[in-house]
Amino acid sequence: MPPMTYDAIVVGSGISGGWAAKELTEKGLRTIVLEAGRPIDPAVDYVEHVLPGEKRYRGMGNRKQVERYQPIQRHTGACDEWSSKFFVNDLDNPYSFPEDKPFYWIRGRQVGGRSIMWGRCVYRWSDLDFTANAREGYGVDWPIRYNDLAPWWSYVEKFVGIQGRRENLPQVPDGEFQAPWPLNAAEQKSRDILLTKFGGERVITNARLAVLTEDHGGRQKCHLCGHCARGCITLSYFSSINATLPAARKTGRLTLRPFSVVHSVIYDPAKRRATGVRVIDANTKQMFDVNAKVIFLNASAMESTRILLNSATAEFPNGLGSSSGELGHNLMDHIMDGGATGTLPFAMDRREIGNRPDAIYVPRFRNVKTKHPDFLRGYGFEGRAYRPDWERGTEMPGFGASFKKSLIGDLGPWELEFGGFGEMLPRHENYIELDPHLVDAWGIPALRVNCVYSDNEKKMKEDMVVSATEMLEALGATNIRPFKIDHPPGLVIHETGTARMGRDPKTSVLNSHNQVWDAPNVFVTDGACMPSTANQNPSITYMALTARAVDYAHQLLNRREL
Amino acid sequence: MRRREVVQFLGAALALPFIPRGAEAAIKFGKALHLQLGDVPFRTLNREQQVLVTTIAEMIIPETDTPGATSVKVPEFIDLILTEWASDDDRAAFLAGLRDIDVRAAAMGSNRFVDLPSAKKVELLTALDGARGDKAGAGLAFGRLKALTVYGYFTSLRVEQEILKVQMYFNGYQGSVPFAPAV
Repeated sequence: MPPMTYDAIVVGSGISGGWAAKELTEKGLRTIVLEAGRPIDPAVDYVEHVLPGEKRYRGMGNRKQVERYQPIQRHTGACDEWSSKFFVNDLDNPYSFPEDKPFYWIRGRQVGGRSIMWGRCVYRWSDLDFTANAREGYGVDWPIRYNDLAPWWSYVEKFVGIQGRRENLPQVPDGEFQAPWPLNAAEQKSRDILLTKFGGERVITNARLAVLTEDHGGRQKCHLCGHCARGCITLSYFSSINATLPAARKTGRLTLRPFSVVHSVIYDPAKRRATGVRVIDANTKQMFDVNAKVIFLNASAMESTRILLNSATAEFPNGLGSSSGELGHNLMDHIMDGGATGTLPFAMDRREIGNRPDAIYVPRFRNVKTKHPDFLRGYGFEGRAYRPDWERGTEMPGFGASFKKSLIGDLGPWELEFGGFGEMLPRHENYIELDPHLVDAWGIPALRVNCVYSDNEKKMKEDMVVSATEMLEALGATNIRPFKIDHPPGLVIHETGTARMGRDPKTSVLNSHNQVWDAPNVFVTDGACMPSTANQNPSITYMALTARAVDYAHQLLNRREL
Repeated sequence: MRRREVVQFLGAALALPFIPRGAEAAIKFGKALHLQLGDVPFRTLNREQQVLVTTIAEMIIPETDTPGATSVKVPEFIDLILTEWASDDDRAAFLAGLRDIDVRAAAMGSNRFVDLPSAKKVELLTALDGARGDKAGAGLAFGRLKALTVYGYFTSLRVEQEILKVQMYFNGYQGSVPFAPAV
């Protein structure tokens, strides 16, 4: 097959790849998006309105099939009876880890990637985050600061459509928000009490969410069915399929090629530039090349780095971009599953109508104004106040007519859960490499992951339990159930790092505009680029970095510098 | 108990290698997956176990002015879960627990639970309800039967549509609407 030639290549059609495609095509570049997985047809694949009663296992999932074919993916809650099809077959997509260092790599290989079933929480960072590495001596300093990215956050937020409440908190700066949904009665009362009892330090606010509360850009406002991870036929939440890929297609300059597994980047040592990528057709397994002036790797953090590791040359025997020795290193995730749940003593005469698809959020309060003695950095809480309705019947005592009547006619008291999401430090010893003995279904060398949480994360999780319990006690909650569940890294599905940005080619893989130091027409703008991971959900930052990097690449192309 | 917790309670955390053996088994497996629940005959519970499970499920959620567990085929759902979903160990523990319920009934004067007088049935179930956290035996069987009955009942299409009147579209969210329980 003769090589195809475009102005630009985007590898991956997920949350950052969709943005790269939109921005590149809107700037006039003929762009091909190479997606390893299948196409998605919203009319067929979106199943958010299918009731449990219409599913064979009523939402409990096809357990045996999932255990057989998705033994890793099954660990995430969204890999359920509706949405397991959006997660990879682990047998076709193997990777390895040392027996004592499990890592759960949760992946989606289809047009739209994980933007179909992502959590949709979007928070800006502050300079508290951008300066943390330099201040504390971990990893390398970010080559940019808040003011470098703020206009790009604004740019993407306006397109994405985000519901959020302005709080004027320096650690999570406000952005471009649509009107927020109201908190429910129990959440509002809890917010009021905690603001008083913690002097404004612990704030219950709306989770800032990439879901529309107002019609926007041809997409309809949310209809509150509450099952976003199964798709959205009204396109109300942001995804590549719902928003960026249609925008790119509108330019007439987009070619989207599913079933295209990128093997490696092709590097010309004479020009010291990449000339294209080597691709394997997922169905025919035929190999072919695609050439372009500029390449954006947006295959997800570990997949983009895997492509670079598989792109070794004589000059770069450990992979393209490896000259610093940091390619593959400094893998991070977040930490979660520390917190508490309690039964609230108020608002029994109130209920909510509509399945609000967001959570509440308590922004980071540790190591903001005062230093915590046990750990660096911080965490925020996600949570929700809810009345358990009939589901409480599986554990409440009783049976018979009155039991049944209670489950149908009452909702149970409000339960409030706080679950922490905390920052993981960047550490060189957490890394990915090519497994010399393992290939995927297309014969491409697979990854070996070496990653563990450090004591800092473990102490942070202990504090999540303490502070969540404190808040529930302050609310007068009863039946407080603290929880601290150990899980391997990866399960938060915020894997980042392995091709970090930096100021110095001797210590970083990418420069301040996400260019690979060793191959400046290759940009990496997904999670791989992050020198640290803060405690906020990362996707909106990938989007902003991508839009910023495309703008820079376009300037370089116009100056003929790529 | 949220859906995820129900799944964990029923033992999903246990890994169970599974693959259809050979083409014939694979075809049979595929056909089974595509059968609608209502078409699935009992495949794990024998006749006596069906009667026992149906009797207890109907005691947990009886027919009143609204359908009971039997009307919406909760026993068939339980059999489906035991057949296609539960691990071998979970299934064996459940069936052993059912046998133990009859053993407990024998101590109360009847060889089978279903033959006990109504008051004695209620007395035994009340005792088992207090023991549903047990790791084995009659308490475990009742705990799982109760969880599956509640879950199977409220996730049946008929209950979702006719009783819960599950709504999928809302024109705006209201977070503080007056509520009084109808009990």
